[in-house]
Amino acid sequence: MIQFDRVWKTYPGGAEAVCDLSMEVAEGETVVLLGTSGSGKTTTLKMVNRLIEPTRGRIVINGTDIMEQDLIQLRRGIGYAIQYIGLFPHMTISENISVVPNLLKWPRDRTAERVDELLTISGLDPEEFRERYPAQLSGGQRQRVGVARALASDPPFVLMDEPFGALDPITREQLQDEFIELESEIKKTILFVTHDVFEAVKMGDRIALLDAGRLQQLSTPAELVENPANEFVDSFLGQHRFQLSLLTKTIKTIMPELRPTSPESGSAKSEARLRARSSLIEALDLFKKTKQATLPVYEGKRFLGPIEKKQLLKVITEVLGETGETS
Amino acid sequence: MNTLIAFFQKLGPEMLQRTMEHVYLTFLALVIAIMIALPLGIYLTRCRRPKLVSAIMGAVGIIQTVPTLALIAFVVLIFALVGLPTIGTLPALVALTLYALLPILRNTYTSIRQVDPSVIEVARGMGMTSNQILFSVELPLSLPVIMAGIRISTVWTIGIATLCGLVGAGGLGDLILKGLRSYLMDYLLAGTVPAAVLALIFDSALSGLEKWLTPQGLKS
Repeated sequence: MIQFDRVWKTYPGGAEAVCDLSMEVAEGETVVLLGTSGSGKTTTLKMVNRLIEPTRGRIVINGTDIMEQDLIQLRRGIGYAIQYIGLFPHMTISENISVVPNLLKWPRDRTAERVDELLTISGLDPEEFRERYPAQLSGGQRQRVGVARALASDPPFVLMDEPFGALDPITREQLQDEFIELESEIKKTILFVTHDVFEAVKMGDRIALLDAGRLQQLSTPAELVENPANEFVDSFLGQHRFQLSLLTKTIKTIMPELRPTSPESGSAKSEARLRARSSLIEALDLFKKTKQATLPVYEGKRFLGPIEKKQLLKVITEVLGETGETS
Repeated sequence: MNTLIAFFQKLGPEMLQRTMEHVYLTFLALVIAIMIALPLGIYLTRCRRPKLVSAIMGAVGIIQTVPTLALIAFVVLIFALVGLPTIGTLPALVALTLYALLPILRNTYTSIRQVDPSVIEVARGMGMTSNQILFSVELPLSLPVIMAGIRISTVWTIGIATLCGLVGAGGLGDLILKGLRSYLMDYLLAGTVPAAVLALIFDSALSGLEKWLTPQGLKS
């Protein structure tokens, strides 16, 4: 768990980067720090591994104030990935990923095994990539290595500063999806910085929206979109409200009523099934792809009931009305 | 052909000895210059007082602008004032070392400063100590540029060291001065050609070393 307790960062001359920030990142949770440039999101992130030291307040990791922990040990226990990746150009991919395990004096074979494991789950063939140099990789591949390096020693905490920010939209989406997949298995406590509200909605269990160093709202993506805490949040979401609603509203929330039904043999035969956690957009895509009028909704293996395309479209129209947008 | 044999019979042994002196002088001056400029350059990259940095860089830069002959004269004069020997290797060595400082210092300082800041940030963020960052990130990445500085200093020093004949430090300058004083072309050539050849040999050898030291990942 990472706790921020009334944390301030002020610079000589009075510039306030972060003001009176209190929040908690629960174990295994991903909290996205969202905001424009100058909102204090990166400062907040960098205070956790003390690349920037807080002026006032306490940041507690593992139950201990970070200022009382050994700086080097603290940092070695926190994964760190940034937008500009910062791979060491003179080291091979394998050497890059091995940096923290080597600092922690892992035995050689354990490190080598870990490198191969990480390359594999990052979708890079170890045989092919282990001995390559960063310059021989594409931007997307480099960022995969950057993330793999952050996870190398299997740290419980990971800080990510716009890790996918420098990538083209298609590669970015791919890496986001891969990371979500990976994250669901490794369950780290993650602080993730972005200025992209769609990325925030996609990656975060909760979103901390910051403006001018102050926390404006800390809530789940759905809540942020449904109930903006103040005018700033509302205007930050701005013209994206409609799209965001379709992304954050899940099928489950629009199911007519959740009567537990026994699996219906008829619809269970249909191969296409909607997951209760799917967003409205995903549902719409599936209707389009399968050309069905009705799809079964499942939560895990439990059948929740059928949903009609008409129902879905009606809800989408309602959302459109709520967000006050005209098409 | 006969004249060439006669030339070497007459001047060969002296040429060889003077060349050895020349190499010795150059080598010594460079080693001392590296021992001063490399740590100083590294220190300056870590120094938090920009005024001190520009003062030191400026001072070393000014040494370079003093004409070589004048610098040797200054060193001899200062030595005379403080009672140190004004003839021989020592004053020559001091002047040569001062000259060799700048390229090494400047290249060390700028190349370390130019290491991609995001690389340094990640290195710090991952928990590398300042020394670990220096030795396993900054220096390996700067090595080719630092080596280029050493190579420039070497070639300069080989040329400048001929002037040290003036203060009785020996070297190929001795032969050149002898040729000048007595209008002897063979002495002049016996001093000039080896100096030029030395410069070429060291230049290519060091540029080979530079390539060899360039980290694999930085070669395109």
